[in-house]
Amino acid sequence: MKPISRRAFLKYKLTSAAWIAGASMLFPQRAMAESTPDIAVIKGDPEAAVRKAVDMLGGMKAFVKSGDRVVIKPNMSFASGPASAANTHPEVVRTIAAMCLDADARRVLVLDNPLAPAEQCLEQSGIRDACRDLDQDMVHMVSSSGRFTEVTIEGAQTLSKTDVMREVLNADVLIAAPVAKSHAGAGVSLSMKGMMGLIYNRRIMHRLDLHTAIADLASLLTADLTVIDATRVLSTGGPGGPGKVLTPDTIIASRDMVAADAYAISAFEWYGRSYSPDQVKHVRLAHERGLGRMDIENLSVQKRFV
Amino acid sequence: MGFRVMGFRRWVQAVCLVVFLFMLATGDRLINADLFARMDPALTGVAAIAGRTLAWAFLPALIVALSALLIGRAFCGYICPMGTTIDAADAAIKPKKRRKNPPPKIFRPGLKTIIVFFLSGAAAAGVSLVFWASPLSLITRFYGTVIYPVAWLLADRGILLFYPVFDLLDIRGLMFLEVEPRRFAANFFVFLLFVAIFAAARYAPRFWCRYICPAGGILALLSKKPLIRRQVDENCDQCGKCSENCPMGAIPDTNAAACRHDECLACKTCETSCHRDAIRFSLSGEDITFREVPEAPASPGRRRFLVSGIAGAGTAAVGMTGLMAVPSADAEGRVLAPRLIRPPGALPDPDFLQLCVRCGQCMAACPTNTLQPTWFAAGVTGMFSPAVIPARNYCDPRCRACGNVCPTGAILKMTPAQRVWAKTGTAVIYRQRCIAWEYEKSCMVCDEVCPYEAVEFEEKEDLPYPVPRVIEDRCAGCGYCEHYCPVENDAAIVVTPMNALRLSRPEYREEGAMRGYELSLRADAGKFDPDELAYPGAEPDAYPPADDPENGMAPGFDTGYN
Repeated sequence: MKPISRRAFLKYKLTSAAWIAGASMLFPQRAMAESTPDIAVIKGDPEAAVRKAVDMLGGMKAFVKSGDRVVIKPNMSFASGPASAANTHPEVVRTIAAMCLDADARRVLVLDNPLAPAEQCLEQSGIRDACRDLDQDMVHMVSSSGRFTEVTIEGAQTLSKTDVMREVLNADVLIAAPVAKSHAGAGVSLSMKGMMGLIYNRRIMHRLDLHTAIADLASLLTADLTVIDATRVLSTGGPGGPGKVLTPDTIIASRDMVAADAYAISAFEWYGRSYSPDQVKHVRLAHERGLGRMDIENLSVQKRFV
Repeated sequence: MGFRVMGFRRWVQAVCLVVFLFMLATGDRLINADLFARMDPALTGVAAIAGRTLAWAFLPALIVALSALLIGRAFCGYICPMGTTIDAADAAIKPKKRRKNPPPKIFRPGLKTIIVFFLSGAAAAGVSLVFWASPLSLITRFYGTVIYPVAWLLADRGILLFYPVFDLLDIRGLMFLEVEPRRFAANFFVFLLFVAIFAAARYAPRFWCRYICPAGGILALLSKKPLIRRQVDENCDQCGKCSENCPMGAIPDTNAAACRHDECLACKTCETSCHRDAIRFSLSGEDITFREVPEAPASPGRRRFLVSGIAGAGTAAVGMTGLMAVPSADAEGRVLAPRLIRPPGALPDPDFLQLCVRCGQCMAACPTNTLQPTWFAAGVTGMFSPAVIPARNYCDPRCRACGNVCPTGAILKMTPAQRVWAKTGTAVIYRQRCIAWEYEKSCMVCDEVCPYEAVEFEEKEDLPYPVPRVIEDRCAGCGYCEHYCPVENDAAIVVTPMNALRLSRPEYREEGAMRGYELSLRADAGKFDPDELAYPGAEPDAYPPADDPENGMAPGFDTGYN
C-alpha cells in the first residue's frame, strides 16, 4: 500500500512542480515569491536551519526522487575541525544526508578529494563521525587516478576536458554543501569552486585562467541543490585558514549554484570589506554564460529565523 | 614420522615469512616492523661497528648469534625470510639436473666468512657496505620496493576491474578501497639482483646461503660444534642418500656419517631421507662426525681474515675519498645533490650513512611513498639510502613511520610534538617558473596546502594577482608545496636541504627554537572536538582584526562591472 501511495503523492508533486515551473516563466518572479523562493536564507541552529531552508525550496523530495543515487559534496579536505571554518560543519552535512535518506534515496554518498591525508581529514573534519549513525559507510575520499573518468566539457572556454569521480557521473542528484570561505586565488570558495573537489587534476586549472576554468567546471558539474554552510564564515585566510571566522549561524540554499554563491558573497564581509557578486570573476562569468543568476536584487530571497 | 618433521620446518618457515611480510606491510601501524632486520647478525654487527654504537635494539641479533652455539644455523633454516624465499624459488625453478660443473672456484663456504671480514674491515674504517650482502637488508628491500608495489598494482587493477560489481551490489568498502600503487627508484636493479640470486639454483640449492651470506658466515663461525647437532649411529650403511639430498652440501659424499655442522641448517632433510633411521639431531652422544673434514673449512686461516679485513678497510677508504662522501656534518666543500632531502629524524652525516643498512623498511612503511632509495645522489657509499622526493609526494608532518621502523636508529624515533619540529629542509620559490610571478595567473596552491602556514601571499603593484613568498622560519620542508605546485616536472617551489635539523637526539623543538624557527601546524588551531559538534566553537574575536578596509582588495576579487 504504502509505496503506491507514495508514488501517487510524488506524481502529484511532480505535476504541480511542472506547473509552477511553467508559471514562473510566464509571470514575474515576485508572483511566486511567497511559495518557493530562489534563495532561502535561514539563521539558527545548523540542523533546523538546513531543514527549514530545504523545505522552503519545496522539500528534499523536490530534488531527490525515490531510488535516486545522491552525491553530496561538502568541503572536507583540510585536517581541521569545525572551529577553523575550513570544512563544512558536520551537522550541516549530516542533516542534508538524513533528508536525502528520508526522501527515499537509494544511495547517499558524501565525497571529496582532499589535499591533506584522507584519513586525517575524515577524522578531524568530524563529518565521517557525524554521518555514521545514518549509514556506516557514507563518507569517502576518492583520490586514486583510476577512479575518475574523463569527460569532455561542451562549450568550455578553457577547460576542455576533465576527469570526474565515477560516483558523481553515476549519480542522479548532486548536492553542493560548501562552507562559505575566502579563497586567495578564487576570491571565494563556495559551491562552484567546491566542484574542484570532484575531479582528479586540479592543478591544470591554475595553469589556465582559474576563474574561467571554475565556470567551465560548474557548467559540467551543476549542483541540483546548493546548501551553503555559513554557520561560520572564514572571512580571511581562506581556503585553509586560520583567519577571521565570522559566526553568522546562517544557511543559504538555492536551486541555483550561482545565485547561492552570489548571495553569500554579498551577505558577508571579506577581508573587512563588502563586495558585490560581480566582483568575483567566476560568478560573473557563470552569470554571463547563463549557468545561473547573480543578480540577487531581481531574485526572490526569503529570510527566516529558526 | 619423517614427513611430520619435514612439515614442521616448512610450517615454521611459512609462519615466519608471513609474519615478516605482514609486519613489512603494516609498517608502524600495529607493531614496529623492524624485528626481523634486528635479528640479522650481519646487519646489526656491521651497523654497530660502523656507527660505533651498541643498542638494546640489537639484542635479537645477539640472541640469534648465541643460538648458533646451541643449534647451529637453525636461524637460516627456519626463520630467515631470505632463506625461505630462496627455498621457495629453488623449489619453483628446480633444475632437472644440477649443473654437472661446480660453480666457479671462488664460491666456497669460506667465501661468506671472507665477506664478513671484508664488511667488518670497511665498517671499522667507518663505511657500511653491509647493504650489498646482509640477507635482511636485501630481502626487506626486495619485498618492500619490488614485490609489494607489484602486488598493490595488481590489487588496484583488480578492484578497478570489479568496480561495476561492487557498485551494483553497493559494497562501499570495496568501491572506495584505494590501493595507490607505489613506485620506487632503483627497483629494477633490486629485481635483477634477485633474478641472479634465484638463478643460482642452477648450481646448487641455497647457493646464496652456502657461499655469500654474511649472516650465515657469522653463524657458521659460531657453529663449529653446536650442542644440538647431527649425529649418525652405526646403522648407517653409507648409502649416500643424505649427502645427495642435503640442500647445503654439508654431508660429504665420501662419508655420510660426517657433517660440516657450520653448514648444517638443522633442516633434517637427511634424517627424513635416511632409510635406516640412523640420523638424529640431538644433544648428547658420541660424536663421530667431525673427524674427517671433507673440504676447506668455512673459516679461512688467520691470514685470510686479515687480508679481507684490510681489503674492506681499503675499499672504505676509496669510498671515503669519493667527492660525495661527507666527512662531517658541517664539512667544508660539501658537494651533494642540491635537493637531497633526508627523512625527518635522520641522524647527522656521516652517522646516518654509517647506521643506515638500506633495508628499505622506512620506504616500505612510508605512507605517501615519498621516501625513495637514492641512486648515486649521495655518492657510491650512499646508495639505496632513503631520501624524500617531494615531487612524488609530501612528507606528512604528523607521520613518524620511518623512524619507528628503522632497525638501527639511523632515523630517530620521536614524539608527535617533536615530529612537527623535525625540519627536513626549506622551500625556495623560483619566481621565473611561478604561475603567479611569471605567468601572471591566479595561483595560491602552495599557500593552500602548506600545513605550517609558511607561505605568504602579497600584492605587487605591477602584477595582477598576489604572489607567494616563503617565510623560512615557519617552513619545515615537508614538501606539500612542491608536490602540489601546478608547474610541471620541476616545480616552481621546491624543498632544499637548507637548515634541516639533523640531530643525534630527538630534541628538535629545543634546537629549532634556539635557531629562531616557529614551527606549528595550522590545523592545531582548529582541532576537532566532538563536544562542539552541535554548535560551531569559533570565537569571532579570537582572531586578529581584519585588514584595513582601505588597504586594497581582498585576494581573488576584482572591481567587477565598475
